[in-house]
Amino acid sequence: MLVSKNKATNSLLKSEKKSLLRFLTLYVAMVIFMITLLSVFYYQSQEKLMLADQRASLTKYAYIQTKRLKVLHYFFDERTTYPRDPRFKSAIYDIEFMKIFSILNDESIRFDEEIYITNKHIHFVKTLDTYYLGTKYLIIEVEDDGAWRGEIWKHILGYGLIAFFLFMLFGLFLAKLFLKPMRDSIMLLDRFIKDTTHELNTPLSAILANIEMMDTGVMVDKNKKKLNRINIAAKTVSTLYKDLTYLTLEQEKQNEDEEIAVKPVLENRVEYFDILAKSKNITFVLSLQHATIFIDRRKFIRVIDNLISNAIKYNKRGGEIEIVLQENMLSISDTGIGVSEDKIPFMFDRYMRFNQSEGGFGVGLSIVKKIVDEYNIQIEVESKEGEGTKMVLKW
Amino acid sequence: MVKKIVLFVVLTSGLFSQDAYERNCVGCHKDLPTTLQQMFKEYLQTYSGEENVKAGLKHYLRYPSKSISVMSELFIDSYGIKKKTTLNKKELDEAINIYWNKFKVFDKLK
Repeated sequence: MLVSKNKATNSLLKSEKKSLLRFLTLYVAMVIFMITLLSVFYYQSQEKLMLADQRASLTKYAYIQTKRLKVLHYFFDERTTYPRDPRFKSAIYDIEFMKIFSILNDESIRFDEEIYITNKHIHFVKTLDTYYLGTKYLIIEVEDDGAWRGEIWKHILGYGLIAFFLFMLFGLFLAKLFLKPMRDSIMLLDRFIKDTTHELNTPLSAILANIEMMDTGVMVDKNKKKLNRINIAAKTVSTLYKDLTYLTLEQEKQNEDEEIAVKPVLENRVEYFDILAKSKNITFVLSLQHATIFIDRRKFIRVIDNLISNAIKYNKRGGEIEIVLQENMLSISDTGIGVSEDKIPFMFDRYMRFNQSEGGFGVGLSIVKKIVDEYNIQIEVESKEGEGTKMVLKW
Repeated sequence: MVKKIVLFVVLTSGLFSQDAYERNCVGCHKDLPTTLQQMFKEYLQTYSGEENVKAGLKHYLRYPSKSISVMSELFIDSYGIKKKTTLNKKELDEAINIYWNKFKVFDKLK
């Protein structure tokens, strides 16, 4: 399915990032485990190969030493000097694993293995059929210079890194495939909203303009109430419309940043939402000092509108909204349903709604987050379920 | 009379000063062409370890037979199989232990 992409859909959502991070962590762990396993197998096979190479010469040494033991056996007690060879060290053990004589450097012997590597030596255990001097086991020892080990490590590191790099490329490809269905559905939703929003503009403007123009002075109270309700409903839809328009069209517009006095903007927006708040008997408690902020007015209003609109939407009937403005700090707190602590990190995700009973698309806070991130404004959320939510902006 | 007593004491003290090995083994073997040490090496070559050698030797002394002898056929054909030992278990063990300690290879190589 072909759907157009815009800036909003190109950025990863927090939930997407979390899924991606989990997948990548698991994938990397699996790749490391697999490469380690392959390295171990490679190391073992190379070690076996090296020992197979050594076996031929060690077998020859064992044969020579056996012949010398035979001679010593027949001339014992006249001769008691154990036969030595500059090419190797050796030891003889009886059938009960008792040491008869040894000139080995490393005495850790494994009688159940034919050839093995000790600390810095290679041992070859030859079992004799004729026990000269009682010798059942003849151990031949040669030095292990470890050069082969260095070579193997070089291969493991080299090929391991190449394999890791290739696996990572493959992982990224997989991750893209993994995220594609999620992306497609989000893009489809974006497209739908964009198309729908466009159709809302004309009727909404007509309703709001006509409400403004109506002469309420000549109206009976009953009709005034009805008009009031129409006004509230139209403003709610208007806020949503502005959010959706911002999300799909306006955010790509050039910023027109300016120094804004925050207090008058807040007063204006509180007045705008007052009718909506009154419909739920919600009162505003304002504590506003003078403060300024350098920002695009349009974007700042979107932030304030969304925060106030949420504070009204999720507040209880007869609740309060406290707005505190100080130099470089604005807080808007409500006495509403609140959000549990584990959900706070996902509050700013697009299409994320924790309360299905309230209307909306779940785009408001994602717009707020985008704007505050753009202007490096810090946003803090303090919320307690059943008690309310406090949003604090610091700049 | 005194001379007889002195002679008796000298002879008996000589007899008791010998150990089980010398008393029971050396005497018979001194007439054979193969020394006890060479025989020990035959045992060592066949049985390897201390426990094995002692067990093999003890078994042969108790139940001598051509089939389990460590000596060559030529030797057996010439000198035959020894008679079954009359030594008791304690004395036999003692003689074998002395024999092992006398000719063992351990600590002799350098």
